[in-house]
Amino acid sequence: MPDLVLDLAAGWATLLLFGGGLLLLRASDTLHRVLALDVLVAIVIMLLTILSYLRDVSYYIDAALALALLALTSTLVAARYVTRGGPF
Amino acid sequence: MLLDVLGAVLLALGLMLATIGLYGLLRMRDINHQLHPAGLVTGPAVILVLVACVATGSAEIITSAVLVILFVLITSPLSTHAIAQAARRRPRRDR
Repeated sequence: MPDLVLDLAAGWATLLLFGGGLLLLRASDTLHRVLALDVLVAIVIMLLTILSYLRDVSYYIDAALALALLALTSTLVAARYVTRGGPF
Repeated sequence: MLLDVLGAVLLALGLMLATIGLYGLLRMRDINHQLHPAGLVTGPAVILVLVACVATGSAEIITSAVLVILFVLITSPLSTHAIAQAARRRPRRDR
């Protein structure tokens, strides 16, 4: 892909990251915060993928895979915490 | 050349979906309403950006991207469902 497209995509994804931060700041509730962090992780995964295309290196997508794994675990545990008052 | 155009279109489509989803998230206040655009951002938008890897033509990147796509296909509905279940089952005082 041309570098211009990838640069534009990386810039746009960074702007989306700011939008996600705004969402996190506006959250009024534990569940809203969990949802906002889930969305932020999805945007960071997109950013890492675009970075991987830009540098033509596959390591960043592996980092995105680890991040997705962590996000799944943390979301499940936080949702359980909201329901039962503790992680277990 | 054709692959370049395809990759750029997929990338733009994914980022557009993410933008629309984020706008919806900022617009809606109730958690049950917010779950719908959140599912749009964490599922299809990420997958479209990852599918754009066909334009790079690098075997390493495509293999990793396919792994991440499979993982996201499984985990994105799971986390959304967990949040919906928590919103339904949490104690009344938290609502």
